[in-house]
Amino acid sequence: MKRTIAIVAGLAAGVLTSLGIMAVAARTAPEPMPFGPPVGPAVGSDTGAGELLLVVVGGVYPSRSDAEVANAAMPFGDLQGYYVVPVAQFQGFRQLTGEPGDFALVSVFRTDEGAQEFAELAASFGHPATILPERVRSLGGLYAGLGQEPNDDGSGPLTGPVADSLP
Amino acid sequence: MGKATRAGGGGWHPLALAAAAFAIGVPLVVAFHWGQQGWRDRHENYPSRPQGYTQIVNRFGQPCSANARAISMSWRAADNGTTYRFPFHIKLGGRSTEMVSDKGGRSTNLDNDVYGHIQQQHLQEHVDHGIYGYACRAKRDGGEWSTHAFGIAIDVSSAEEYMGKCSSTVNRHHASIWQNHGWYWGLAFCDPMHFQFATGY
Repeated sequence: MKRTIAIVAGLAAGVLTSLGIMAVAARTAPEPMPFGPPVGPAVGSDTGAGELLLVVVGGVYPSRSDAEVANAAMPFGDLQGYYVVPVAQFQGFRQLTGEPGDFALVSVFRTDEGAQEFAELAASFGHPATILPERVRSLGGLYAGLGQEPNDDGSGPLTGPVADSLP
Repeated sequence: MGKATRAGGGGWHPLALAAAAFAIGVPLVVAFHWGQQGWRDRHENYPSRPQGYTQIVNRFGQPCSANARAISMSWRAADNGTTYRFPFHIKLGGRSTEMVSDKGGRSTNLDNDVYGHIQQQHLQEHVDHGIYGYACRAKRDGGEWSTHAFGIAIDVSSAEEYMGKCSSTVNRHHASIWQNHGWYWGLAFCDPMHFQFATGY
């Protein structure tokens, strides 16, 4: 009888202990990641150097300060709108815009969909937005918004070159 | 009932009768009006509100994903009559109801419940122009993904309730409706146009 009681007590203690361990482990286990590890939260500062990019232009200005003043007057609510960059960082930019000026308000993209989506956003805020008719080659330089467009596969942002952006 | 409610020989006082009729009638009229609109607050299948960036991704996916822009709705601004069509996350609306056609969404949160409440309480006059949802963009003047990139943020009356304004003149009329449906109001960080389905980010 004593042996039976001892076995039952031992089993009960074991089960309770294992339940306790499992409960503690479950509470401290990391949350499952159904969509994979998070990208970001910072947007990558990819310049796409060497790639052929689509440019949405908000304006061209003679100096950086003029461009920054104009940019401040074009809010996109709580979103990042245009970036102020020297036009010289895009090969072919001057020929396509035909406007004099060394600095421009731009946001650049790898896909037509991304450029179109941003141009529509700018238009909905009442801001100018012209998609240059041809791609221009990025020579590096300042960050100009690359990476803020969806990947075709629907998984998240497009973070690398696509066939159309490769020279 | 005491003397105050009795009129002379034991009948009901006319004021008491009027008050009773009012108390019974008004809710019936309101209920009839709502019933005619074919709307009710369904509260179906809401996701829990994430806290911080990692939970946002775990619950809603990566920024700029297909789910982040899977559902869309239209909303007319009261002040200038512009109708804005904006996308948002598949988990925050698009489920079939009396008022919303089935868009393949998972819940009734935004397009039936929040929008419906604002209409039914006649607060639409406090929804001004500049209404935006999903946008694959970073936060203004920062390098972090905006909650708009996840399709879990809506800007309302954005011209009037501009970023940097630490009080509210328009959205305060309906902010409690958003909050009662899980949305966090950006007034706390001086962005009164902004409602997001997340905290801590």
